[in-house]
Amino acid sequence: MLIVFLSLAGRLIQLDITSGDDFERLATRQRIVREVVPARPGDIVDRQGRVFATSVCVRSVYVVPRQIRDGWQLASQLAQALGLDADRIFETIASHPGRHFLWIKRRITDDEAERVRALKLSADICGFRDEFRRRYPQGALAAQVIGLRDIDGRGQGGIEQSFDEMLRGRDGSRELLQDARRRVIEVRDDTEAPPRHGKTIVLTLDAVIQVYAERALDGVVARWKPQSACAIVLDPKSGDILALASRPTFDPNHAESARAESWKNRPIADMYEPGSTFKPFVVAWGMASGCIHPDEVFDCENGEYLMGRRLLHDHHRYGRLSVADILIKSSNIGMAKIGQRMGNGRLYQAALAFGFGGPTGVELPGELPGRVRPLKQWTTYSTGSVPMGQEIAATPLQIIAAYGALANGGTLMTPRLVVREASESGSIGATIVSPVVDSRIADWVRKNALAAVVTRGTGKKAAISGYEIFGKTGTAQKLDPQTGQYSRNLHVSSFVCGGPVDHPRVLVMISVDEPSVSLNGEHFGGSVAAPAAGELLRRALVRLKVPADESLLRSALLPDDFTEEFLE
Amino acid sequence: MFFRFSSALVLVVLVSLAGTALEKRNLELKRIVSRQQYRLEILLERHGANRVLAQQLGAPSRLIDELDAEPATAEKPATLQKADRPAAKKRAAGRAR
Repeated sequence: MLIVFLSLAGRLIQLDITSGDDFERLATRQRIVREVVPARPGDIVDRQGRVFATSVCVRSVYVVPRQIRDGWQLASQLAQALGLDADRIFETIASHPGRHFLWIKRRITDDEAERVRALKLSADICGFRDEFRRRYPQGALAAQVIGLRDIDGRGQGGIEQSFDEMLRGRDGSRELLQDARRRVIEVRDDTEAPPRHGKTIVLTLDAVIQVYAERALDGVVARWKPQSACAIVLDPKSGDILALASRPTFDPNHAESARAESWKNRPIADMYEPGSTFKPFVVAWGMASGCIHPDEVFDCENGEYLMGRRLLHDHHRYGRLSVADILIKSSNIGMAKIGQRMGNGRLYQAALAFGFGGPTGVELPGELPGRVRPLKQWTTYSTGSVPMGQEIAATPLQIIAAYGALANGGTLMTPRLVVREASESGSIGATIVSPVVDSRIADWVRKNALAAVVTRGTGKKAAISGYEIFGKTGTAQKLDPQTGQYSRNLHVSSFVCGGPVDHPRVLVMISVDEPSVSLNGEHFGGSVAAPAAGELLRRALVRLKVPADESLLRSALLPDDFTEEFLE
Repeated sequence: MFFRFSSALVLVVLVSLAGTALEKRNLELKRIVSRQQYRLEILLERHGANRVLAQQLGAPSRLIDELDAEPATAEKPATLQKADRPAAKKRAAGRAR
């Protein structure tokens, strides 16, 4: 008896000394399980708190191939519950026999989860994991701006990508104490590392104005059948982007059916020669540098002007035009003469000062910088081309941001898309403010030239009742890929407008790439983009509760035969 | 002697029983807390799902036509009555005289 007792005691002492640590670790591993607590990705909301992107918790099913005895039976059961092919599940399990973890189906529905639970499978071979599924309650609204999160929770495109770290958060973990049957008997608080949930991103977008912008583009696309189109609505005082829309587009809730070209965020990723929309910046810089005077008159040579060896044309035969009329009529010859007066050096400075040739700094991935060639590459040809918006390339966002300077007393604001984190005050990104031209010059260009573009110039179709607005048309020729020359049929038609003229609250730009001339016989920005841009501007002004001018409203309602003599 | 021994034994048993009761109560409370946590998680999930549904149903793209129908400051007056026009007023004043 004593010998047996001593033998057992000796064995116990030996085990404790030689393998005690190993057994302790084994026991701990059997009792305690460390579980990942996933961080909930942050929401993306508009300036009013409307949710553009949020996450809901869903289940995903996994199996442990190493523990599976009858693979075919399990595959059949799971296939029936999840609506999958039993053969494929079996092949997947059979091809990874040694693994401890294998996804069967991720992000399943509640019904599917219930059916899997009803199978009462052992926790050793099959289980659920909680994951977050990204949902986009506004559907296709601002799809390219918001972006997507892939199945592994990584941001792809748009705000989802540029603020991925902030939105994703950091997973936590906790230790669970299990009994012999692997049932959780205790969640250990002392070892818990709580997850750091993703932060909410508040955008400057207004979902209602975004809807207006999307509808305006739908109308343009239906009528002109272009390759692509985009719309931007901007608050010139703060640089806040109120709407940013692209066509073609997609629904992020069904991203698998999206066409490849619909992913492109056109306002920042399309780059083309701005054409006539660039002219006001040349005039403003020419006045700021003292090269031209507002009261000056230029001879526009009745529509034909030989500049060096190059023959320039205007669409109409203009004689002598004032500086304002050159912009109102969009005379290429008048602009070329202003360019000659300024010289290449000042034209180059003008382009850089208004923000061309570099990215605007908006908080989106993939923004193109535009193109302004180094000054030493400019030729005498450039002196005539650049003032009419050729030889440089810009994104629609660069163009509207530059117009923001003319609407904001000559001060260029960085366009911004993100206001702040919902949980913290203050701004995420700094807004860079750059004075470009004197406020009197910016006001003169806006009130004397750009306002008349809408009342009696190329942008008459943008006129809206109740507001005095300003604008500029642009019809840029595209290079023909076959010949390498400017095409007569391929154009980018655009229109930038803003209002009210005295104190601009909103700027709108619509850009249409390759409108079908054959459909409506026209391709000018004043016909293709201006009507939609004007209507979008009116809706945005009403939405922002900018009071209409009663006298303008009243005059719009009076009969055509009404004259002042009726008023006493 | 026997009395002292049995008293000590009873005391030890009582302390053990009290400890066991406390441990049971402790486990019971932990279970309740765990259940509450689980319920909270379920409710948060439901809240998230309902929030998505509410946002979908209240999306501006669905309600924009109703929003547009609301009177706004910049909307035109419905119609300008003929009688309100200056010419008609002038004629009416003439007839009255």
